[in-house]
Amino acid sequence: MKRRTIATRTIVPSREVQRGIIGGLMLLGGWEAATRLLELPTYVLPPVSGIVQAIVERRAALAAAAGYTGGEALAGYLIGCTIGIGVAVLLALFPWPRRGFVSVATAINSVPVVGYAPLLLLWFGTGIESKIAAVAFAVSFVVFISTLAGLDRVDRRAVDLMRSFGAGKLAILWRLRLPTALPLIAAGMRVSTVRSIIIAIVVEMLGAYGGLGWVIYQAVMQIDFVQVWAAIFVASAISLVFFNLIGLAEWKLVFWR
Amino acid sequence: MLQKERPSATAGDPAKPILELRNVNKTFGSVAALHDFRASVALGEFVTVVGPSGCGKSTLFNIVAGLEEPDTGGILRFESRSVHASDLLGRVSFMPQRDLLFSWRTVIDNAILALEVEGVPRKKARAEALGLLPEFGLSGFADHYPHQLSGGMRQRVALMRTFLFKRELMLLDEPFGALDALTRAMMQRWLLDVWQKNRRTILFITHDVDEAIFLGDRVLVMTARPGGVKLEQRVDLPRPRSPDIVTSPAFIEIKRALLAAIEEESMKSFAAANFREYAQ
Ligand SMILES: Nc1ncnc2c1ncn2[C@@H]1O[C@H](COP(=O)(O)OP(=O)(O)OP(=O)(O)O)[C@@H](O)[C@H]1O
Ligand SMILES: [Mg+2]
Repeated sequence: MKRRTIATRTIVPSREVQRGIIGGLMLLGGWEAATRLLELPTYVLPPVSGIVQAIVERRAALAAAAGYTGGEALAGYLIGCTIGIGVAVLLALFPWPRRGFVSVATAINSVPVVGYAPLLLLWFGTGIESKIAAVAFAVSFVVFISTLAGLDRVDRRAVDLMRSFGAGKLAILWRLRLPTALPLIAAGMRVSTVRSIIIAIVVEMLGAYGGLGWVIYQAVMQIDFVQVWAAIFVASAISLVFFNLIGLAEWKLVFWR
Repeated sequence: MLQKERPSATAGDPAKPILELRNVNKTFGSVAALHDFRASVALGEFVTVVGPSGCGKSTLFNIVAGLEEPDTGGILRFESRSVHASDLLGRVSFMPQRDLLFSWRTVIDNAILALEVEGVPRKKARAEALGLLPEFGLSGFADHYPHQLSGGMRQRVALMRTFLFKRELMLLDEPFGALDALTRAMMQRWLLDVWQKNRRTILFITHDVDEAIFLGDRVLVMTARPGGVKLEQRVDLPRPRSPDIVTSPAFIEIKRALLAAIEEESMKSFAAANFREYAQ
């Protein structure tokens, strides 16, 4: 549960967060114990301690890779959000092409990223552009759908109230429909954070000059499974940070819920 | 304050109707909501409208607010000009049945919504609204959000929003419908007070016959659906009206006449509902 006071809203680590941390620690502890007790070979599952040690040892390279991937994901995310919200708003103002547009977008999006990633590499090259494009594409769809749903959620009577004041389409959009849609837009944006990191990594694995996906690919080639896990841990960490940053912004922005 | 001084004390001048409706019909598919509705509202008059639930009261308001076009053939006149309903958008101050406050706006920003739409700079609009807060019993609540208010306060914010949209004709759709009896009585007196100070023409929907008589210069009783005017009852009680006027013989006599008419119509709509159930 979110807690807030009337005037200023303070952040209290909620029971959910505490439970999440405890759960995570228990998982890692169980993992460590299992690998030691069962003496699992590292290519099956390395111990957590080994992975953490690897992260510390290779921190410079991992940080560079994380920055690379994070940069791609963030750029694609911002572009995707802008396109998603922008197109949804346009369709709210000019609704006639809406049905066709939504079906085409849905059809294209039912193909998984790996499906069209080779094409993106072909069109945008092996550099960061192809990753940004893939992320932007996927994010824009999610944000588009949630924005559209949010804009539709508006109370007809509230629209009528605005109309009775002589408000036009733009005033109604700005003062009523967008604020009404904000909770859903924010939810779509929050969900998209994790997706954007995943997609950046997946496309990197298919061809890149750097980034966590590239690190994972190289490590697999060299049969260095500790390195694979180290990169996965770092990816999870940046996903978590990204997700929670947007969640925090959402919590501040959508204060009335 | 909302400056609109009118010399005459009570009932508006019938020679100067601000709103006239004649032969107004409205059908939604197979449902006839209004049938041959006719009424005339004088400038500065306080007219209350009562009628059985679902008889078309809100539909009438939607038409007068310009939100809904009546069926063709009816006559709609506003400020002595024949108009389409849509011409009335932005020219009538309309308070819908639910308060419809925007949860992301503070009390003050909800109140100035119409002013903002009209293009008044926010700062100026806020200053004006701040001055009105005490009169609407909202002092100190300027920066509160709707979810922090009681039902009565929310209703007053909605009323304030309606008042700040300064149009001669105000439409209030059951503004006190959701309030408990005590708060309601207080709000009624308060509304008369505000109205006395800034005369506007008010059309006021209610389910409560006492409220209709206590507030109005005239009461319109509507028929069961399709809604028309069943009875027009003048209320010649002196103003300002004190709360105990409801026990005066004159009040009770008016009430008796109204109740008889309403009873008849309620029975009709009840019978119609029962009939529909049997028919199914
Ligand atoms: N947009 C609409 N589409 C279809 N039917 C409608 C519409 N608006 C109203 N109606 C119908 O018209 C009739 C009158 O509705 P209206 O809301 O005007 O009643 P009312 O007198 O305000 O009722 P209440 O006292 O319960 O508020 C109802 O039968 C309703 O179902
Ligand atoms: Mg109604």
